[in-house]
Amino acid sequence: MIRLVDVHKSFTVKDRKTRKPKRIDAVQGISFEVKAGEIYGLLGPNGAGKSTTLRMIASLMAPDSGTLEVCGVDAIREPDRSRAAVAYLATDMNVYERFTPRELLRMFGEFQGVEATVAERRGMHLLEKLHLTEFADVKMDGFSSGQKQKVGIARALLHDPKVVVFDEPTTGLDVLTAKTVLDLLRVMKSEGRAVVVSTHVMPMVEQICDRVGIIYDGKLHGDAPPRELLKSRNALTLDEVFFQLAAESEAAALGKGA
Amino acid sequence: MNGAWLIFKKEMIEFFKDRKTVFFAFVMPLILFPVLFTMIGKLGRRDADQRRGQPSKVILLDPGNVLRSSLEGQPTKFKLVPKPEGDFLRAVTEEKADLEVQVDPKAAEASARMETFVVKATYDESTSASRLARKRLEEVLKTFDETQVNARLVSIQAPGMLAKPTKLDAVNASDTGREISKMLGSFLPYMLLIIMYAGAMQHGAYLSAGERERGTLLSLLATRMPRAQIILGKQLALFALCLINVVVSLSAMAFGMGRLVAEIQPAEAAAQSSAAMGNLSAIASPTTLLLCFLLLVPLGFFFTAIVILVGTQAKNTREAQTALTPGIFVVILLGVFSMAPGIEKMAALPYVPILNISLAIRKLFSQQGSPYEYAVALVMTIGLAALMTWQSSRVLSRESALFKGGD
Ligand SMILES: Nc1ncnc2c1ncn2[C@@H]1O[C@H](COP(=O)(O)OP(=O)(O)OP(=O)(O)O)[C@@H](O)[C@H]1O
Ligand SMILES: [Mg+2]
Repeated sequence: MIRLVDVHKSFTVKDRKTRKPKRIDAVQGISFEVKAGEIYGLLGPNGAGKSTTLRMIASLMAPDSGTLEVCGVDAIREPDRSRAAVAYLATDMNVYERFTPRELLRMFGEFQGVEATVAERRGMHLLEKLHLTEFADVKMDGFSSGQKQKVGIARALLHDPKVVVFDEPTTGLDVLTAKTVLDLLRVMKSEGRAVVVSTHVMPMVEQICDRVGIIYDGKLHGDAPPRELLKSRNALTLDEVFFQLAAESEAAALGKGA
Repeated sequence: MNGAWLIFKKEMIEFFKDRKTVFFAFVMPLILFPVLFTMIGKLGRRDADQRRGQPSKVILLDPGNVLRSSLEGQPTKFKLVPKPEGDFLRAVTEEKADLEVQVDPKAAEASARMETFVVKATYDESTSASRLARKRLEEVLKTFDETQVNARLVSIQAPGMLAKPTKLDAVNASDTGREISKMLGSFLPYMLLIIMYAGAMQHGAYLSAGERERGTLLSLLATRMPRAQIILGKQLALFALCLINVVVSLSAMAFGMGRLVAEIQPAEAAAQSSAAMGNLSAIASPTTLLLCFLLLVPLGFFFTAIVILVGTQAKNTREAQTALTPGIFVVILLGVFSMAPGIEKMAALPYVPILNISLAIRKLFSQQGSPYEYAVALVMTIGLAALMTWQSSRVLSRESALFKGGD
């Protein structure tokens, strides 16, 4: 369903102090694959390249090089077509606050080529699973961030997408709401969709992910089921794996510097 | 095209869901303009009343009673007030009287001897009532002189025409309708330019840069909707809002103007304007109005394209508005330029964007335009607008449109 082969992405930013353009290699040759009915977890510290990778999968950004396939479509050549199969959710997204969830869902259904009544039915079904039916006809300008996030999730999933790309879907949510979201992701998996999520929260990965990839400095370190990854690393928790990687990277940097 | 329509619908719904914005954009001018113009009219009328309706207060010192009867014979214009104690000048400057008139005590004898006698008038140039009193006195003296001259001519048996070598007979060749239409033609484009640009700027920043600021743009761009259609839909919506703005503002202004005229000169104006309207409808025919509208459509689209192009690149609403504000001055400048008399003869003007449209509208009303000029203005404006639309959708496809920084 999703296939990345040696994908690279860099940004050029301006360093205010040296006044010179600075290159940031956000993603440096990442390859992995997510099959239908599989949940893939992308794990990594801040600035590792998780969001950049997910944005490329959602065709909101084009890779500099490499191969990227979504649902058999070359996402680099036909971003509009591949995007149609993707549900994308990120923390920096917001809802149209002048609308009610029902109005918003009908509207986005139409944007995605789903008839408004069908979109409304699907949307209401999703809101029910997310325990938000009560607020379906309330204007969203007073919504809490969790409520908005739930509407965002329903909005993303309206068009029956084959691929689900959620960037830190549980950030800022309480345990109860987070569990609701994770349950929904399990449903997505059972319906045969390919799911990719990024997170800092290790327990979430252990609970729902079939495979995890650990991103560090734009590179993928290990790509295996959570338990196997622990075993191969000789660690008890994913946190431990994570500290190992940080130490390795520091050692490598020191080695280079010496 | 379907995508553009959906976005258009979304923008319109979103706009009209906010009661406050709707009120300030559309309802407010409808209230404000008529109230404003009515107030101006009321003030103007009060001033006019004071000048026309009330007699001037005059202190008359005329021992020979030469002018007294002339002044007393016009009670609507003059009211003789008693001579105050002390200084005459003070009475005038303190506005107790508008005018103080001193006639030569030996005026009657001088007149009988066919000599000139002096009438000394003291007035206050700084008050309009006093200036009016002086003017009225001059009129009285003019009539007085004419009767005197006539009497003297008769007494020496000369014809009355001796003292009247000429008589002016002025005929107004222009008809009122044409005059009004010409004035409208030079004034209207200016108003339309400003209203359209200001409207586009006001609402455009909200639906372009505002989407990024509020974090909704990403959810829109994550759908399968093609970028070009998103831009097109937004431009169409903005254009529609501008058009509503123009219609509302113009009708509010027209209504306000009507109130103003009615306040100032009720009876006269009614007769005059209905006659003028008759002529106007002959000149501003449905064809003229239709052509005018056809010229405005590309201009509106041109403005919305500018606003969207700037708005899609701005980080937030404020940045967009800051970038767009200087445009108002450019538009005002071009508007003033297009109102200037004689401008229509400059050869390069049909090729200056914005200006060519307002010039074309102006010529349309004075019936001087050529089809070639209309065509150039139209094609140029549409071409530029299309170019900007294309550029906007390219901007939106760039990832920097979504994620700040980047390349
Ligand atoms: N639009 C951009 N312009 C410039 N640099 C960027 C841009 N997007 C990402 N980067 C840089 O690329 C690197 C990876 O960023 P990314 O957002 O993918 O990290 P992340 O793993 O999602 O981190 P976090 O956990 O903090 O969300 C960072 O160094 C970041 O500064
Ligand atoms: Mg991130």
